[in-house]
Amino acid sequence: MSITAKNNKKLLYPGLIWFFVFFMLPLAVIFIYSITDSYVFAGQKLQFTLSNFVMIFQKKHYLIILGRSLKIAMITTVFSIMFSYPVSYFLAKKTRFDRVLIVILMVPFWINYLIRIFAWKLLLSENGVLNQFLLFTGIIDQPLKILYTQTAVILGLIYTYTPMMVLPLYAAIQKIDNSFIEAARDLGASRARAFFDITIKLSLTGIFAGTLLVFIPVLGSFAIPAILGGTDSVMIGNIVENQFLHVGNWNFGSAFTLALAATSIVLILFYSKIFGAESIYRVQ
Amino acid sequence: MRGKIKTEGIISQSIRDHKFSKKGKRQVFLPLYTAFFFLYIFAPIVLIFIFAWNTGEGYNFPLKDFGWNWFVRLFNDRMALKALQNSIYIAVTSATVSVILGTSLTIAVIRGIKKFRALILVFLMLPVLMPSLTIGISALVFFRAINIPPGIPAVIISHVSISLSYVFLIMMGRVEGIDIEMQESAIDLGANWFESLKDILFPVLMPAMLAGWLFSFMISWNEFIVTYFLIGTEITLPVYIFSQLRFGISPKVNVISVLITVFTILTVFALQAIRKIYLKIQTRIV
Repeated sequence: MSITAKNNKKLLYPGLIWFFVFFMLPLAVIFIYSITDSYVFAGQKLQFTLSNFVMIFQKKHYLIILGRSLKIAMITTVFSIMFSYPVSYFLAKKTRFDRVLIVILMVPFWINYLIRIFAWKLLLSENGVLNQFLLFTGIIDQPLKILYTQTAVILGLIYTYTPMMVLPLYAAIQKIDNSFIEAARDLGASRARAFFDITIKLSLTGIFAGTLLVFIPVLGSFAIPAILGGTDSVMIGNIVENQFLHVGNWNFGSAFTLALAATSIVLILFYSKIFGAESIYRVQ
Repeated sequence: MRGKIKTEGIISQSIRDHKFSKKGKRQVFLPLYTAFFFLYIFAPIVLIFIFAWNTGEGYNFPLKDFGWNWFVRLFNDRMALKALQNSIYIAVTSATVSVILGTSLTIAVIRGIKKFRALILVFLMLPVLMPSLTIGISALVFFRAINIPPGIPAVIISHVSISLSYVFLIMMGRVEGIDIEMQESAIDLGANWFESLKDILFPVLMPAMLAGWLFSFMISWNEFIVTYFLIGTEITLPVYIFSQLRFGISPKVNVISVLITVFTILTVFALQAIRKIYLKIQTRIV
């Protein structure tokens, strides 16, 4: 290693120390909280226990919320793949204006998602734009009650996270060599067969990457269910917020938070194992 | 020879034709679908704009009057102004710190070390992919443990640890593009190591650093969940919006949204412009 590289190495420490002290250490503290049953920094001897994790699975209430969060995250991911695949395909293969269109598509991604969710509140409320329109056209004669239900939460989540799916899909589809598809067609595959056997399979990287970007934040979302949802749409995030800011059971809240962190770390490691550590950086 | 060149021309021409030829027959669905998709993404935002200038309290069509009264009411709302001020302060500070730490970290990881590089790459990806909720909660617990009270400094510290990864993400490709020999030859010609950074790397990385700064600014500016847990009794714009939204709808939120959206669009264009300038500089160096 050259002397220059050795000197450059010194630049590592400020950033890395910051990262470990203010990012990794807090995660470790959460971990300690989750396996004890008292306030950690009070000076008394710590009692290690797994009861916090057991409690998640013992109380039906928490189990339901866990299952519901997973269900909502999966529905959102599947729909966002379905909604954005044709768009990504069009951008990657069928237009010359892909770059401009992608810049335009990135604009809402940068607008605070609370604002975009606010728009959905305007749309879905009982005398909101959607109901006014449906009543006006005579399709319904009673306003639909969508706001403050699980449906509203799922609609809001799909709307918020679908643009995140477009970019990785676009990048993956663009890399597919057209001659593979043509070869399949020449060898007698139908359009549909060529699409499912070639295009979809070769864009799996993008689908995985997009899933990381959608599934993880949706699983941990708490603002969207708090704004658009009601009692049938409480998610993990709302439980955690409640435990930390209102109930004050940090040990139990930490167990829930850790479960969330573990899920995301497993998914990230799984992805980096298959596609390589550096490829994670192509996700964005 | 001549014939061969001509055939190649014809082949590439036919490939190009192939890509764009079938618009008339079967290619109606995709463009139409894409148009609807863009409509789906943008219509709600347009709706917010319309109601920002609606003078009435409610959100009913047909609209009656257009005016600026909600803008005036927003600018007389002390809470909103305080939130705006805090948001700018937090975003500027955290973006500046993240760019300094992130740039040096990137130079070190890409052009300094070989060991542990893959491991550091995975660790640095965590803030990008981990749910903000986890980040916010763990920071809340940690700061309580080391006696940093909730408030603006705590928020800035956490925003830096998130933006650091994004700066790294942006800088990585750019630093990879610089040959370490450039730095080494400067040192061979008599510069010391610090000068080689200042005079060789810094000018080349400047546009990327600016892009990283804007990116970090936007991350911090939009960040809600981590801020919500750490801000204590203070307020930022996203926290203000959330508090307004949780208990009903206020047209003031429309006005804030309009202002933020316009600001955002300008920033996105600034980022694009920086990228173009950067590409120009890069081609000149190569």
